[in-house]
Amino acid sequence: MAKVSVYLTLTCLLPLLCNSFSPENPKSQRILVLIDDFAIKYSHSLFFKSLQTRGYDLDFRLADDSKLALQRYGQYLYDGLIIFAPSVEKFGGSIDLATILDFVDSGHDLILAADVGASDLVRDIAAECGADFDEDPAAVVIDHSGYAVSATDGDHTLIAGDDFLQSDVILGSKKTEAPVLFRGIGHSLNPANSLVLKVLSASPCAYSANPKTKLSSPPSLIGSAISLVSVVQARNNARILVSGSLDMFSNRLFRSGVQKAGSSTKHEKSGNEQFVTEISKWVFHERGHLKAVNVKHQKVGETNEPAIYRITDDLEYSVEIYEWTGDDWKPYVADDVQVQFYMMSPYILKNLSNDGKGLYSTSFRVPDVYGVFQFKIAYQRLGYTSLSLSKQIPVRPFRHNEYERFITAAYPYYGSSFSMMAGFFIFSIVYLYNK
Amino acid sequence: MARSSSSSSSTAKDAQALIQSLRSAYAATPTNLKLIDLYVVFAVLTALIQVVYMAIVGSFPFNSFLSGVLSCVGTAVIAVCLRIQVNKENKEFKDLAPERAFADFVLCNLVLHLVIMNFLG
Repeated sequence: MAKVSVYLTLTCLLPLLCNSFSPENPKSQRILVLIDDFAIKYSHSLFFKSLQTRGYDLDFRLADDSKLALQRYGQYLYDGLIIFAPSVEKFGGSIDLATILDFVDSGHDLILAADVGASDLVRDIAAECGADFDEDPAAVVIDHSGYAVSATDGDHTLIAGDDFLQSDVILGSKKTEAPVLFRGIGHSLNPANSLVLKVLSASPCAYSANPKTKLSSPPSLIGSAISLVSVVQARNNARILVSGSLDMFSNRLFRSGVQKAGSSTKHEKSGNEQFVTEISKWVFHERGHLKAVNVKHQKVGETNEPAIYRITDDLEYSVEIYEWTGDDWKPYVADDVQVQFYMMSPYILKNLSNDGKGLYSTSFRVPDVYGVFQFKIAYQRLGYTSLSLSKQIPVRPFRHNEYERFITAAYPYYGSSFSMMAGFFIFSIVYLYNK
Repeated sequence: MARSSSSSSSTAKDAQALIQSLRSAYAATPTNLKLIDLYVVFAVLTALIQVVYMAIVGSFPFNSFLSGVLSCVGTAVIAVCLRIQVNKENKEFKDLAPERAFADFVLCNLVLHLVIMNFLG
């Protein structure tokens, strides 16, 4: 009897164990935070607390902890990774560059913060993600006209950045009024890479160089080509944040006021906390994560989905698109989702109209070409996950009894055949009775 | 100079003489043969009209086009066969009764029009 009750409670508890990461619920739950020393846990506590209040389970480990592991027996132990260890030479345990890249390739998110004196390992991880840090290990970003006015800092390495990417999805709908304080190294992005975006760029007067030595030649990274904070959205919709400054996440810079050089407005609080909170929401899929479900197509006026269409049929196509808000799915509202009726090239390309509740639909007439077509949706917008759906459907030509009974273009031929018959009759009468 | 003009005028005169002789010879043919000739000309003209129409409009119901043209061409061919068999000057069919020839003509036309109606679509 006791055994039965034990079994019963265990089976009741099992569904709860499956509550973590699943495609239906893309919110990450467990995040591994790798840090250089535990002081960072306290000096950056505001950032970590904001993550914890949003429901994430943070696991703080030293970067060279020998028991580190991202996966065990093929299952990933964490859903996200934060690397706040800019000077680590080698990760402990089973984590290294390849396992981190596998982690991202399997769809998980990553926040990587480098800083002055970043190690080669951190630079390599960033380079694999598309962000190339300045090769000079002692170089920092210096801006003599966009620096933050500070009592202690004289070499203009603390920058007040306000050149943000224009994207409500990534940075939130509320505009950051105060500039973001940044002290660290800059990176550049390959312009041919379409997956990586500059979220915070340096001003045109910034450059990356060693503040203590005299410059012998012009620096290689200058101006707005320097990216201070970038994001990458991989093709499998994993999101990566690469930041050149660990201090940007720190409590000190969260709380400090900021006055940009040359401007008279003194903000009481820097924009760091808002900027970092909003961008971490985007990185961990609390915003801009779409799913498309319930693809349906049928002939106008019917409800079942046919296995084959005929040319010049009228059909309707519908799909439901939802956006994840952090707690549940809400309908996605946009007017630029398009569906293609595609066979080697799109024969029909139509905008889908939505009803406000996430149902996107349109209707069109099948073109006068037969073959195997696909209903294709390829939706890629800045900051949103890419939607790529395709459903194959064959299209057949007319059956021989589906043409009109008498074809107008053939009337002369009908006429001539009947006139030949009439001519035959008249000729035979005349021929026979001719004297 | 005089020679070339006379040669050109002589060719023109020759052509005219040729046409005149053809005409007079044709006038001597029996009426029933002339009737058949008229029938053949009607069939061929109809076929030509259809071909010109197809060249303009395109061959969309190709089966209808073939049916129309073949009815005209078939009619012409069968009528020519009748003319050969009925012509008294033709040594080959001397022993064939003209009624038999006409009966064959009617049968062939029946079969032809049956096929045409089926293929017309």
